[in-house]
Amino acid sequence: MERMFPPKKASTMNSHDRPMCVQGDSGLVLTTDPKPRLRWTVELHERFVDAVTQLGGPDKATPKTIMRVMGVKGLTLYHLKSHLQKFRLGKQPHKEFNDHSIKDGMRASGLELQRNTASSSAIIGRNMNEMQMEVQRRLHEQLEVQKHLQLRIEAQGKYMQSILEKACQTLTGENMATGNFKGIGGATQGNTLDMGVMKDFGSLLNFPSFQDLNIYGGDHDDHHQLDLQHNMDRPPLVEGFMPNNENICLGKKKPSSYSGSGKSPLMWNDDLRLQDLGTTPSCLGPQDDPFKGDQIQIAPLSMDRSCNDNIDSSISDIYESKPLLQGDPMGEKKFDASLKLERPSPLRAPLQAERMNPMIKTGTMVQGRSSPFG
Amino acid sequence: MATLAMDDIPQFGFSSYTTTTTTTNSTTTSDDDHSGGCNFNAWSPVVNWDAFSTGSQDDFHDLIESMMDDVAVLNPDRVVVGHEDEGSNSAASDSTDVMMVDELNNGDDDDFKGLRLVHLLMAAAEALTGVNKNRDLARVILVRLKELVSPTDGSNMERLAAYYTEGLHGLLEGAGGVHHKSGHLFSNGSHSDNHPMDVLAAFQLLQDMSPYVKFGHFTANQAILEAVAHEKRVHIVDYDIMEGIQWASLMQALVARKDGPPGPHLRITALSRGGSGRRSIGTIQETGRRLTAFSTSIGQPFSFHQCRLDSDETFRPSALKLVRGEALVFNCMLHLPHFSYRSPNSVASFLDGAKTLSPRLITLVEEEMGPIGDTGFVGRFMDSLHHYSAVYDSLEAGFPNQSRARALVERVFLGPRIAGTLARIYRSREEEERDCWGEWLGGAGFKPMSISFANHCQAKLLLGLFNDGYRVEELASNKLVLGWKSRRMLSASLWSSSSDSDF
Repeated sequence: MERMFPPKKASTMNSHDRPMCVQGDSGLVLTTDPKPRLRWTVELHERFVDAVTQLGGPDKATPKTIMRVMGVKGLTLYHLKSHLQKFRLGKQPHKEFNDHSIKDGMRASGLELQRNTASSSAIIGRNMNEMQMEVQRRLHEQLEVQKHLQLRIEAQGKYMQSILEKACQTLTGENMATGNFKGIGGATQGNTLDMGVMKDFGSLLNFPSFQDLNIYGGDHDDHHQLDLQHNMDRPPLVEGFMPNNENICLGKKKPSSYSGSGKSPLMWNDDLRLQDLGTTPSCLGPQDDPFKGDQIQIAPLSMDRSCNDNIDSSISDIYESKPLLQGDPMGEKKFDASLKLERPSPLRAPLQAERMNPMIKTGTMVQGRSSPFG
Repeated sequence: MATLAMDDIPQFGFSSYTTTTTTTNSTTTSDDDHSGGCNFNAWSPVVNWDAFSTGSQDDFHDLIESMMDDVAVLNPDRVVVGHEDEGSNSAASDSTDVMMVDELNNGDDDDFKGLRLVHLLMAAAEALTGVNKNRDLARVILVRLKELVSPTDGSNMERLAAYYTEGLHGLLEGAGGVHHKSGHLFSNGSHSDNHPMDVLAAFQLLQDMSPYVKFGHFTANQAILEAVAHEKRVHIVDYDIMEGIQWASLMQALVARKDGPPGPHLRITALSRGGSGRRSIGTIQETGRRLTAFSTSIGQPFSFHQCRLDSDETFRPSALKLVRGEALVFNCMLHLPHFSYRSPNSVASFLDGAKTLSPRLITLVEEEMGPIGDTGFVGRFMDSLHHYSAVYDSLEAGFPNQSRARALVERVFLGPRIAGTLARIYRSREEEERDCWGEWLGGAGFKPMSISFANHCQAKLLLGLFNDGYRVEELASNKLVLGWKSRRMLSASLWSSSSDSDF
């Protein structure tokens, strides 16, 4: 189908020195050079993008197929070739704004957003200024959403942790009662934080400070730096999503048993159980309550509070910052050990989602697409 | 929705899907032998295997999906008939089965085995309930299945089939009236048998492995935030508060609002089931304490209440304490993977109550069913199998090397859900009991509330944090659907009571 592009429209575009002429039948704006250059008007580009989209993206589309799909008279392979080339180049970092590009972290770039907004039919017919504004608005909104989402995930992570802490405490309490604990750093009973202190603690370390968090990570959690070697091809975007699981309280006694699994002691423990489930018959079934007996040790840091069954203290636990773990030499060791063994298959680039929880590091993500930076 | 327009172009989804598949294949060949070029026609006289041999399919939900289409075409009876043709009694057909099975053990193609399992399950379901009911045959097939599968071993389909086998076996025995183990198999999807720590670990894993839980919570919360943007007091009535994790992020968002007046006071009323269910008052109280502590820690004014459901779990609007000037929100989370079953009557009473109380917003999250087609037991059985195979596949894609972690989630949440689902569709196989509450609300005169750009955007960003394969789809102006590959899994829809027209 032919579409007419009135020359007026074209004249609103950025100016060129060359004399222009409009090919009457198709509305194409061409220079009068011997090798006529084509003016890519918004409308024309729009059709181009539509065609490319239809053909399965800039990598699949070829000048020939685009020419067929666009069906604009006067448009030559030569025009399309160079335009497609530019289009591909520009698209490089993120192929298209759909699930995929977002997948490359919450970092859909403005560039990309701009392109795609530009390509959306809603904007056809508006002039550049309006488009820019729309793009800016959308971009801004998306960045806001992105920031909020991060904070929300973090909040849920904290809350989840409070549940886990509480469960740990309960279990610890049970274990204490049965006198099964040996050789664990003294449970300092006087460690209760009152609500006021707690609040300060919270406001210093937590939610308010979320605001300052760099969306794109940084050293939110030192441990993550270690992971970067697995993620070299991906920027550390989702650091902020890390719930601080390091200080969850359960862990096994033998440091060596930490190897081969994740960082979070809870998950270690869990994972070990799971391993046990698979291998050691003695650990099978419900009778294998791993929290029973001296098989289990509560990490000293949580031990401090294990006797405070009140929620205040559990909240203070939640907001503990990770240096605590680093202060724990065993924690470091565990971590090193686990790092070596959890090394995922080099064939797979781990997803960012891994950072959402240390747990995930023990597994590798199937990374379907090749990394855009790979 | 300019930036989202691309969604509507199927090519993108498809091309990404194939890319994913190939990459997966190439990187998992060590543990997962895909010989690929299997000739399915070679062994089954009954089923049109051509349907499955086209293209590379390593996701069983795809296979099942293609089978679902066949269910309509291919009279399921033929499966049974086929067996019976080869022998006049069930013993003979058993031997046929065995032969088929042994023959196939040579090939170690997971797909191949998975397909066979699907067919055995279908045959068992058919034998259990079909026109040519044959309980002996069903039993024989199930015995055979049990030898083939284990809930903790093997491929997704094998583990999944184990739960279905167990479920069917329960139906067979239960319906036979020999031993009605109502406490065990028909536990309605409760996971109370598990160690609390297992449940917690599984819950955390579920959240880390898949976007299901967060999708439901965040979409509802975003809608709530938008609906109560300028209110001083907000009152949320939560149908099934569970551990309360949904509200942590809402509180955070309320506190973080920087523009406008200071954040509103938030009141949450949790409905509690009477009786000694897992969600007993005690647990709800604990949730309340936890939420209160959390709100204090971030400085969100908050109060927590509970409202008892009647003994039959129905909701009485009069039991609710309302305060004038509060913006009322009904929050109805159903069918999240870790939730336990709530009876349709109970849900209906809650949503019905919304009519009386005219809340500002009703947020509904529910499981998406397959397309309504065959509503008999076998059809719904297959739909359920399709659904859960998609769940399994999605979890595997998120956690490829963590089979034990997945097994925990499967054992704690999915297994009981499957058993409960089978029991329900078996009991109600004559009636039409497809509870799609969104439709119900629409039919009851509730007004759809649009999903905002920000909300849609949030869902997309959220899914972007997980592995490939998830997608979000705006099925209606007020409904976002979370899908895995081609299967719709979970939907979030927004409603308001029709009388509240000024909003």
